Amino acid sequence: MTATAPDSAEAAVWIDGEPASFDLAVSQAARLIGDSAMAVFAHLGTDTAGVREAVLLAEQVGGVLDHASSAAMLANLDVMRETGLMLTTPLEAAVRADVVWLIGDSVFEAWPELESRIVARSRRSPAENAARRVVWTRTTSPAASQLGATTCTIGEGAERLVHLASLRARSNGRPVCAGDGFDAVAAILRDAKFGVAIWSAAELEPLAIEAINGLVRDLNQTSRFSTLPLVSADNGAGVEAACAWMTGFPPRTGFSRGAPHHDPWRYDSRRLISAGETDCVVWISSFERGAAPRAPVHVALCEPGVAAAARVRIDVARPGVDHDAVLYDPRIGALVVQTAARSQDKPTVAATLAAIRAEIGSAPC
Amino acid sequence: MLTRIVGGRVLDPANRRDAIGDLWLDGDHIVVAPPDGRADETYDASGCIIMAGGVDIHSHIAGANVNTARLLLPEQHRAHATRPAATPLSNAGWSTFETGKLYAQMGFTTVVEPAISPHHALHAHLELADTPVIDKAILAILGNDDFGLSLMRDGAGPNAIRDHVAWTLQSSKALGLKVINAGGVAAFKDNVRSFSFDDVVPHYGVSSRQIVKTLQRAVHELGVPHPLHVHCNNLGLPGNYQTALDTIAAAEDLPLHLAHLQFYGYGAEGKQGFSSAAPKLAEAVNAAKNVTIDVGQAMFGQTVTISSDVLRQFSARGQARPNKYVIIDGDANGGGVMPYNYRVGSFANAVQFAIGLELFLLIEDPWRVFFTTDHPNGAPFTAYPDLFALLMSRDVRAAWLAKLPAEVESVTTLASLTREYQWEEIAIVTRAAPARLLGLKDRGHLAPGARADVAIYRPGVDLAATFRGATRVYKDGECVVTDGALTHYRFGRALTVAPAPDRTMIKRIGDYYDERYGLDADLLRVPEAALPERFFETVACLN
Repeated sequence: MTATAPDSAEAAVWIDGEPASFDLAVSQAARLIGDSAMAVFAHLGTDTAGVREAVLLAEQVGGVLDHASSAAMLANLDVMRETGLMLTTPLEAAVRADVVWLIGDSVFEAWPELESRIVARSRRSPAENAARRVVWTRTTSPAASQLGATTCTIGEGAERLVHLASLRARSNGRPVCAGDGFDAVAAILRDAKFGVAIWSAAELEPLAIEAINGLVRDLNQTSRFSTLPLVSADNGAGVEAACAWMTGFPPRTGFSRGAPHHDPWRYDSRRLISAGETDCVVWISSFERGAAPRAPVHVALCEPGVAAAARVRIDVARPGVDHDAVLYDPRIGALVVQTAARSQDKPTVAATLAAIRAEIGSAPC
Repeated sequence: MLTRIVGGRVLDPANRRDAIGDLWLDGDHIVVAPPDGRADETYDASGCIIMAGGVDIHSHIAGANVNTARLLLPEQHRAHATRPAATPLSNAGWSTFETGKLYAQMGFTTVVEPAISPHHALHAHLELADTPVIDKAILAILGNDDFGLSLMRDGAGPNAIRDHVAWTLQSSKALGLKVINAGGVAAFKDNVRSFSFDDVVPHYGVSSRQIVKTLQRAVHELGVPHPLHVHCNNLGLPGNYQTALDTIAAAEDLPLHLAHLQFYGYGAEGKQGFSSAAPKLAEAVNAAKNVTIDVGQAMFGQTVTISSDVLRQFSARGQARPNKYVIIDGDANGGGVMPYNYRVGSFANAVQFAIGLELFLLIEDPWRVFFTTDHPNGAPFTAYPDLFALLMSRDVRAAWLAKLPAEVESVTTLASLTREYQWEEIAIVTRAAPARLLGLKDRGHLAPGARADVAIYRPGVDLAATFRGATRVYKDGECVVTDGALTHYRFGRALTVAPAPDRTMIKRIGDYYDERYGLDADLLRVPEAALPERFFETVACLN
């Protein structure tokens, strides 16, 4: 495959590195996708309208849908599908939680607004005035004094599982050996009136998430505790939602056998690409600072800042910035419309995919 | 296009019509026969029964909680057929597309999703927009939200309550208002584990009774056609019929709708401390002319319970089959999702099955009882055809009863009930009555001027098969189902009411979101531009 990175700052559409018209690029993309044996719609950094069109197009051509954050989302889903979850919303955590239990090193990186929106926000529950306590279990002794957090140190990998299990045991009053600070943390969790555990699944393995939820279930025998898994970047939760209502399944769902099938291993886009199982990669990355593909792809629908080399490259508008868009709002934990600050004339992902779908065949939806 | 349907039995109880005759459709409406009698298309419906499209008043088909259930149970909805060319994704198990297809094929053309938290209203409408053929609506939930409970605690007058309800309905684009375990879900966040009609919500000082009555009055005074839609406290618990009786009594003379009454028909008698109280409930409903109910019939098989009664779902978590559940403490009601298997050999499940049928058969006025399974809580909506057969045939009921544990007969009256629903009563409980209760004047009947939503059935010996696949279904005058199969997609609308809140309330709510959450309240509104063109259709309020 030959592919060239765009070299013109002026042009917004390229075919094999040469500036081209939108219509021609759509035709060429339609040919690449329509003629493929197994197209992969990868990264999927787009809004609800964009993922809807991606699902319809994937259905039409027998393709595969995967999202940049599938691995993290599937870590949470693994636990949900095995045992279930107890969940709350960011708004409820902010106004009600008397104990916030942070797990892992990356929670503030995973959601930069976590501190201002929840951890440091004053409670507004009817039982006002009770101070919020913060507990942080992480791999290194944190510089957490500014949060006033009580901390205990947990390991990584298998060690983390042991530490979380011993914390669960101590919070249940079981006589096991536990590390420094575990008893203090266990006591705070046990005394919580409405505690909320917060983690980023990009950092934790499913068994760790299951251990946290086991502890939360135990606490709910006598008091109230819930969890708030931090959502993934690039509208992961929004993509997951639309994919679920349209196909029944979250991303890593493919139509290669006609009907939708969900298989986290088989339809892992990175694996499909590296194993050479796909003959057409469609890379969709419309958010600012979105990731670029590691190798040249066939079709790239990316915002101008994403350096994606592709046979067909179409610069697209940024959802919620360049055009109004339905996105999952991590502040609320729901789909909302983000109104564009300014409008500009680049095509949306949805409009581009719809044009490609129309070009390939009839458009029944 | 002028369509003439000839030779069928036109069954239209709203207009007291039950006779062999013609039905004329012009575009998306039913019309009188044209003077020249010429049609562009004529369909011979000889031997068939022609009814208005079905209207389902309470079926959980969309929204964040339903989507959580999809994600929780991938093993239960594998795709079941290869790719259909004309109706993509309609083979995807439990997709919105499949939902629209299956409803349409049964002859249903309007379905109400009855439990949407206002913060998730946009999500629900996006799913409904991807649900083909049928028209739809949501009911918005209040009664466990901090803003509303605070208004009541602080003694805000009826005007403020009305304005808050109006704001909620308008910003959620809802057709009506639902209350789910009023106050009980909020109390659960304060670790309250049981909550009855006269219990008081911690910190708010208001009882469930006060919440229900306050919201009932507000809905009534706003002129919203559909009365307050109530999911009572104590769902599923032995002896809970008393809660339903208390709620009915509290309604006084104002309209009130009780959802899925079967789940409140439980006495605590018999050897196992679980019995039918359906006769007591039916007696109360028969006497209270202001009260309507839907049944929430249970049917055997694997299903999943999806409810915004978080306290109930948490309390029942030990009954999850398979053993997994999701409990969401939401901004107000949240949700609980729990798979469940109604088993033929289970005494309790068999009693539940009997209670629903008793309610159908003991409540005398079919105009006040609506056909539902509380999909998917009592059973998936795909069980409707089997349930119609049960209502219409005592022989079918006897055959089922014979399979159930023998003790069921000692704690229910089902075996003694000989009533059989006639076709006309089926038409009332699935069409005429729910359309009327929702204020949908152009649905549920077949008079000229009505929407051309028409279902044609060819009655056979197997009544369930008759209902599972309509011979023909017209939606807005367009034939979309032929011989039980959806032929192509068209997309329906979402029905809403739009009572206007006072401007001071809009500002007050804006200030509340800003101060409490640091958010612009406008983010929680459903903007029309986010949905397909002309997606919403406004239903007039009564005043």
